[in-house]
Amino acid sequence: MCMLVGTAGYGQALDLKRLDKLADKASSKAEVTLDGSVLKLAAKFLSGDDPDEVKIKKLVTNLKGIYVKTFEFEKEGEYSESDISAIRKQLETGWSRIVGVQSKKDGENAEVYLKTGGPDGGIAIICAGAKELTIVNIVGKIDLDELSELGGMGVPKIDVEKVKPPKKDD
Amino acid sequence: MSYLEDDLKMALRRTEPPEGFAGRVLARANGPAPAEPRWWENLTVLVRPPRLQWVALSLIVSFMIPAAGLYRKERQARAEGERAKEQLVFAVHVAGNKLHRVQQKVLEMGRMDTRL
Repeated sequence: MCMLVGTAGYGQALDLKRLDKLADKASSKAEVTLDGSVLKLAAKFLSGDDPDEVKIKKLVTNLKGIYVKTFEFEKEGEYSESDISAIRKQLETGWSRIVGVQSKKDGENAEVYLKTGGPDGGIAIICAGAKELTIVNIVGKIDLDELSELGGMGVPKIDVEKVKPPKKDD
Repeated sequence: MSYLEDDLKMALRRTEPPEGFAGRVLARANGPAPAEPRWWENLTVLVRPPRLQWVALSLIVSFMIPAAGLYRKERQARAEGERAKEQLVFAVHVAGNKLHRVQQKVLEMGRMDTRL
């Protein structure tokens, strides 16, 4: 499954704490929390020579926060529908679901939400696969075409915290 | 007699030493000689810096300590910034990648509808 989720309250990030419990079950996970000053600091360190980083710098100028949680599991069924619905519930007000894709082919569901209430924009993405769950929440105005273009280049490898799979007798 | 002569006589007149002076002098002369410094005590002279060196050393240290602190702080800030940048690049690519995949799927579905 793969779904895109947006921010809940006005100018606020989604509450993704509920997903923290999945970290113990995940074989690998990555969590990024960039808000306010940290986001500005990160943007300052983006190179003006690297074309990729130049695009990112332009893209994040009006952003107030970026939050990503991604989990990969050894087996299916490690997260429940209620984990996703708790996030989806936060998107009921002030958000519109612009895309919802269910793929029987690869068992992946994807949803994209755009923030409609308030002057600040925002986007939320939920991608839920059989063995993978990714939630992205961006607070602030962002150009979706540019974001998608950057995504088409693939995801760079960073030191993603590897979590040992839980023992069977746990 | 001139005043000068009187003054000279007064200044050069014989005066008796204080009481016990002779005894103290004799006791000192017959007493033990002051201890000779040991050989290693002489060596300490070599490592004993003059006062000017101490001043220079303290000036250098007083400059080096804050400078080292600033350097360390700057390095720490740079490391934090680089780490934040790495996370930002990763987060933007993950978000973009998911969005791109959704777009691809929507396009695929559109093509299938057209064929039907």
